[in-house]
Amino acid sequence: MKKEMAKLGLTLMLYASLACASLAIVYAITKDSINRQGEIQLQTSLKDIFPQAVSFDPIQGLTSTDPNIKFEAAYEVKGGTAPLGIAVKAIGPSYGGPATLLVGVDLLRTISGVRIMALTDTPGLGMNATNPTYYVNKAKKTTFLGQFDGKALTDPFQVKNDVVAITAATISSRSITNIIKAAGDAAIAYMNAQASTAPADGSAQPQTGAAVDSAQPQAGGK
Amino acid sequence: MKKLYSIFKQGIIFDNPLLMLMIGLCSAIAVTTSVSNGIGMGLAMTFVLLFSEVIISLFRKLIPSMIRIPIFIIVIAAFTTMVDLVMKAYFPDLSKSMGVFIPLIVVNCIIMGRVEAFASKQGVAAVIADSFGMGLGYTWVLIGIAAVRELLGNGTLAGIQIMPASYQPILFFILPPGGFFVFSLFISFNIWLKKKMEVSARNKELAVKKEAA
Repeated sequence: MKKEMAKLGLTLMLYASLACASLAIVYAITKDSINRQGEIQLQTSLKDIFPQAVSFDPIQGLTSTDPNIKFEAAYEVKGGTAPLGIAVKAIGPSYGGPATLLVGVDLLRTISGVRIMALTDTPGLGMNATNPTYYVNKAKKTTFLGQFDGKALTDPFQVKNDVVAITAATISSRSITNIIKAAGDAAIAYMNAQASTAPADGSAQPQTGAAVDSAQPQAGGK
Repeated sequence: MKKLYSIFKQGIIFDNPLLMLMIGLCSAIAVTTSVSNGIGMGLAMTFVLLFSEVIISLFRKLIPSMIRIPIFIIVIAAFTTMVDLVMKAYFPDLSKSMGVFIPLIVVNCIIMGRVEAFASKQGVAAVIADSFGMGLGYTWVLIGIAAVRELLGNGTLAGIQIMPASYQPILFFILPPGGFFVFSLFISFNIWLKKKMEVSARNKELAVKKEAA
């Protein structure tokens, strides 16, 4: 009896190890390509939001006001020598799991564009956020993300108030809106801290005077 | 060859996995909100089904029956993960739109059911015919349900606007209750079709006999 069980256990182990080995091979082959796809996706989205941009320099020090929303990366966007704005890659909870968004904020303190990197909400409902032919405003052909373009961050960012929700996907709409708002606010707080002259709302101290003209003339960088 | 064809044919209408065997229903309701999802899910499922069935069939004499279920799951899970990785690496767009449903192929009862009931007892050729038949049976039902739901619930087919702009989409069809509703219509249609085909097959047989007599 015991011998029989040991034999069965060993057989199972053999099958499991074979499966593991073949998975490891496939993983090793596809790993680089998957990482590259993620990198390509990020770069194209950045270019998409800031078409005139020449370089994207990683920056640190953005803090999220919402404990559920984390920032994976942030970039200072530069067109030649002049800064154009800030792009934030933010992750926050949505209806079907975490959502990853790329939020661009320009120097006018408005959203210059939002792209979805990863979203796993309900197909046909929450996933309409990524659908380029799903219009929240059919007459103007505005997509759900499109309605944020040029939106000032002083707006309330409230679904069913100044943000049109995706039909039957209020939770997804609200989560995405919250992530955009958090990322935008953090980007503006960063800009304010960096700016030599304090902006009108005066929420930041003009302590780092030299930051703006430190834009290096290193065009064509990654 | 004729035997293989009859095995292949079984999965499409007479033993359709969704409409007659009633297995793998969760994924059928979940992904059928758009036609492109239906096609992608059907193809991915067919691929995993084919390779799992072939492997199990090849090794069927070496799998002790007491631990066959865990071994089946290991094989199915390995192939599903491979499909997931390959899609992520080379078809990022497809992988994005399929989202969470690819990993869910592991728990699709059709694969488990066919591996247990068919592949563990049959030779490779029969198994290949069976997996293509079952895969096609699964895919056509997914596409059919998705077409009805997407057209009525969203006014589009595979993302292309079909209904006139004045058409107000009936959201009910995109939501789960609409999925059950359309699904039940497909079941009754399939049963009607099956009965009809059986009657015509019997009439043909009778006619042949009469001629002989």
